[in-house]
Amino acid sequence: MRFIARYAKDNINEFEIITVFDSRVESISVNKSTPKVKSLFYEYPASSWFERKIHDDFGIEFEESYDQRPLVWHERFPANCYPLQKSFTKKEIAFSDYKPYPYEVVEGDGVFQVSVGPIHAGIIESGHFHFSQSGERMLHQEIRHFYKNRGIEKMLEGKSLEEAKPIVARISGNESIAYQLCLNDILFQSSHKPIPLELQKYHALLLELERVVHHLTDLGFIPNDTGFASALAYCSKLSEDTRRWLKRLTGHRFGFGAITTIKPSIDIKAFKSWLEEMKKAIKFFESWILEIPSLLDRLEGTGILSKEEALTHSAVGIIARASGVAVDRREESAFYQEHGFTMTLKEKGDVYARFTLRIDEVKNSILLIENLLEEGAFEADDLGILEDGTYRSFCESSIGELFMSIEIQSGVIERFYVRDPSFVNWQLMHLMMRSDIIADFPLINKSCDLSYAGSDL
Amino acid sequence: MMKFWNKRVQLGRLTENLVFDDEIESIEREIKDKVKKRFAGSLALRMVDSGSCNGCEAECNALSNPYYNLERLGIYFVASPRHADVILVSGVVTINMYHHLLDVYEQMASPKWVITLGDCPAMQGVFEKNFAIKAPIKNHLPVTHHIAGCPPEPKAIMEGLLEFLRKI
Repeated sequence: MRFIARYAKDNINEFEIITVFDSRVESISVNKSTPKVKSLFYEYPASSWFERKIHDDFGIEFEESYDQRPLVWHERFPANCYPLQKSFTKKEIAFSDYKPYPYEVVEGDGVFQVSVGPIHAGIIESGHFHFSQSGERMLHQEIRHFYKNRGIEKMLEGKSLEEAKPIVARISGNESIAYQLCLNDILFQSSHKPIPLELQKYHALLLELERVVHHLTDLGFIPNDTGFASALAYCSKLSEDTRRWLKRLTGHRFGFGAITTIKPSIDIKAFKSWLEEMKKAIKFFESWILEIPSLLDRLEGTGILSKEEALTHSAVGIIARASGVAVDRREESAFYQEHGFTMTLKEKGDVYARFTLRIDEVKNSILLIENLLEEGAFEADDLGILEDGTYRSFCESSIGELFMSIEIQSGVIERFYVRDPSFVNWQLMHLMMRSDIIADFPLINKSCDLSYAGSDL
Repeated sequence: MMKFWNKRVQLGRLTENLVFDDEIESIEREIKDKVKKRFAGSLALRMVDSGSCNGCEAECNALSNPYYNLERLGIYFVASPRHADVILVSGVVTINMYHHLLDVYEQMASPKWVITLGDCPAMQGVFEKNFAIKAPIKNHLPVTHHIAGCPPEPKAIMEGLLEFLRKI
């Protein structure tokens, strides 16, 4: 059974803890006067961040938990302040005194600490990496994030789904289409109407375009992190071309606001000729890049995650598939199967596996786009009345499986929860570092290319 | 490797002025000129993400792709605030980033400037003021120039940098 998410909800008289697995959903109610729950850490290590987040947001304690340090709120956050409780309504928080965060470190003769971030040397999102080093060798690494926590869960409470749309589209710029698709799915679920096939095909096409942009960016940046810059020049040209097509179709380079009930007409001739060019370009890239021994030397055997570890830590997305774990939301969907989806799995779980997997996925995405392409415009009927209730949705973003849950009461959002694929994958990244030197870290990090914004919320 | 050089010759020069026609060409010429005069040929930017969606960062990365190739104008992104003339701040300034942002500004050598990138730092975007957000940034740091957009496209960032150079 694969662990997907654990989150809490304030039901005024009690707290509720919801645990989502791939085959079932469990719910526990928790007394508010002594809020204590048993931790799932020893069964599902990935539950660690989920439980620490619940503690920081709601003040619920987890018994027998391995790690009880704060997670989402940092050194100057006031004590006993739990923003996701319904009674919390402040618009401003006064900072309290600085309380140092106890990092998880390895100590000993000659072992030293290296802190990186939250602000990095390149143009990257903010997050912190704390290394315990013995010379160049990484002995341990702790990843500490949530610097970018914008309080989005609280921000969306009390809004209608329509009002939530522009905010949800901007939770993570890299995966905007995926986030919008989850919300769109929930909108249709609550209206008890099926999503028309025309719309479904157009949305899936946009999702694959987004995946192509993201993968191509990584295919450039991974070699660039070994010092091989011409790959970045080549791939960033291709990803820019793709982004411009995304703008041509949706009016926005990231597709913000693209998922509606309307499908525009597409200039099919121009689009197809661009797809042909892309296919040739990818074919060239593959034949060129995979024949450079000094580059392969850096990629092969670096940042290994074994299949057992990927399974134990509930890995999703590229990371899981590169280690041989078959998780892809598209695999279970008859719709995707009909349109030419094939799942590629790699065995080794190293940077090379993640790199070549991205090449394979780009090729499959282009095939999917060809099969999903339809020329004419389409507009779905008005959704009508939306029914209250709790709705869940999944979507395979470019990083991995995205999970969203929205509870609607009296037409407005009572609780919004989303689990970015990065939220589980960040937790297992330290496992990849054990046989490598610190100079390999940027390479390993880029080969996973997880989102900070999506995981921080 | 021969394969690559053959391809390289075939592709030719991609850096284009065609898409935006003469407009971007004149922007580029002017930027180059201003950077030369005001900053002895090189303007060093430091990117600080104070809580964005990663859209602004992606567009800044796009500035280095072969189409825009910002560095040929003498503008480049540096790895430390101590090397920077300007910090380019994106995001809504979260409470967890607030002190780090102020630290960065403190670490810069004078003369120094702050440019805000995208709608978030000016609080003109979709995110609403709540307990976790400290934007607008102008309440905390002296902002010289603002580049609007969600996110601003590479061309808009280039134009914005030019307007900044005209201003100072």
